[in-house]
Amino acid sequence: MTTTYHFEDFKPGQRFGFGQYEVTKEEIIEFARDFDPQPHHLDEEAGRNSILGGLAASGWHVCSMGMRMFAEAFANQTASRGGVGVEECRWMKPVRPGDVLRIEMEVVETRALKSMPDAGIVKFRWDIFNQREQVASLTLLPIVSKRGA
Amino acid sequence: MMWFEDITIGSKANLGTHTFTQDEIIAFGKKYDPQPFHVDPLAAKRSSYGGIIASGWHTVAIWMRLMIDFQKSLGGSGMRGGVSPGFEDLRWIKPVRPGMTLTYSTETIEKVDLKSRPELGLIKSRNEARDENGALYMSFIGKGFVFRKPDGATP
Repeated sequence: MTTTYHFEDFKPGQRFGFGQYEVTKEEIIEFARDFDPQPHHLDEEAGRNSILGGLAASGWHVCSMGMRMFAEAFANQTASRGGVGVEECRWMKPVRPGDVLRIEMEVVETRALKSMPDAGIVKFRWDIFNQREQVASLTLLPIVSKRGA
Repeated sequence: MMWFEDITIGSKANLGTHTFTQDEIIAFGKKYDPQPFHVDPLAAKRSSYGGIIASGWHTVAIWMRLMIDFQKSLGGSGMRGGVSPGFEDLRWIKPVRPGMTLTYSTETIEKVDLKSRPELGLIKSRNEARDENGALYMSFIGKGFVFRKPDGATP
């Protein structure tokens, strides 16, 4: 794995696009069984009768699929030390079987850390889309090492 | 089942505990967060964490699971809802390592009326995971839609 990006390489306003994640019914149900066993994430009929209007992925599953795309396309080429958190997440539209997800990412802000002089926080906003519309938006706060750290 | 009107600000619940095994940490990491310090014990040892740590998404997904199990344990007295527009201020405060046991909790902190959806209200909650010594590992502000009591409904 080549480390391409360090803290110094990020500037507010930079944009990146990545990911192609095919969402299957089997995976929606598997995630829900493990972590979010509510009827509208487990069963098509129950989904139709809920305010989601059909079987839909758990929001935590949507975040996790976003993380998978981010890790594969981006974080593993970045001197990332993991995240300190997520400022805000909005689940905007249901994610359904057959959706193909992708991320448009923008650097919102970079912040040096007094407690960690060899690293800083890069605030990224992920806008997650399926093939029709935006389905979620998250503001993520990963710690990224400086060059030579 | 509880309507929006039945929920009290300040009510707090212990959701139970979860012990993280190395196998499940790596399994979650391989599926959803394949960074070296979540999936590769050797690489993790050489990282600034000094060993495998759980994905923050894994730590918070366990909150969801314990919350659903808790609601089910209340049977008829659970909330009428289950759909969320998102969350705020999720903090991964300390690394969660194999063998650790965390205790999860939820507290209702705010009730919001929704002009756009008069049949629903929005509940905000403060959610936490702590270790046996009370140290805070994870927290976030959750949001959930709960149905309002229709006119003429019995409790």
